[in-house]
Amino acid sequence: MNTIRTSLASLALGSIALLSAHAAPQTFDFKDPKGVNNVQFKLDAPLESITGTATGISGTVSFDTAAALTASGSIVLDTKTLTVGNPLMQEHLHSANWLDVATYPTITFTAESLANVTTKGLTTTADITGNLTVKGITKEVSVPVTFTYLADKLGARLGNDKLKGDLLVLRATFEINRNDFNIQPGQYTDKVAEDIHLSLAIAGAAPRE
Amino acid sequence: MNSTNRFSRFTTALRITAAVALLATLGLWVSTGAHTGWTQTSKVTVQHDEITGIDFPVREKTFVAGVEVIAAGAAVAAALAAASVFTNRRRNA
Repeated sequence: MNTIRTSLASLALGSIALLSAHAAPQTFDFKDPKGVNNVQFKLDAPLESITGTATGISGTVSFDTAAALTASGSIVLDTKTLTVGNPLMQEHLHSANWLDVATYPTITFTAESLANVTTKGLTTTADITGNLTVKGITKEVSVPVTFTYLADKLGARLGNDKLKGDLLVLRATFEINRNDFNIQPGQYTDKVAEDIHLSLAIAGAAPRE
Repeated sequence: MNSTNRFSRFTTALRITAAVALLATLGLWVSTGAHTGWTQTSKVTVQHDEITGIDFPVREKTFVAGVEVIAAGAAVAAALAAASVFTNRRRNA
């Protein structure tokens, strides 16, 4: 009887340990060696919309790939990589009057919590709440995101089959108001819209030994 | 060569230069894509990453003339045309 009890207890403990191991969050590094990760931004303006891109993305996100109930970490954007097609516009964008990239070299989003989590297959949608810091001002924002978990795809992505690991693709589209982050608040509203439309598509890697 | 002929040639040269400036500007604008926005010195093409499914922008250096190039060309042409009218008046005076 004691042997059976011991065996059941061992089995239960083993199962818990296995579940815990499986449900443990993985940490994905979003530094991208392929230059694919990108942020695109758009502001309405009278003659044509101001559209630009940024690729200097880094940061880590810890994501529970099994339960998809938690996500934490931060994504950092190098403001010097914000680029628009018109050189004069780019100069203004980087200047002290607008984003002041010399003083504020990064834009950071730090995840705090997930809500409204829905998982279908490899894709999880959720509302992620966190702190967005732009031009030294931090505001809490809630952003709808899509996580796509790609198991064992790291080697294929980097063209090295010996490399083992998983990928997490994160997509988000949302708007912020430039007044909230002291970007020429209330100024030039006839020339540049106050709402900034942001679109983010990034992939992080979690290598395995 | 008398001064009337000199003025006449100068007036004609100014008008031809004005027309050439205007046509050259329009030609440049059309040949770089007839872009109705501001001048661009780079252009974005979107590529697709097969593994992650991410569409990503690739920025290439190029020159796309915008409306300010047309405005500058038209201003130069107008200034030359105005100067030709002024020299023509001096010739007739």
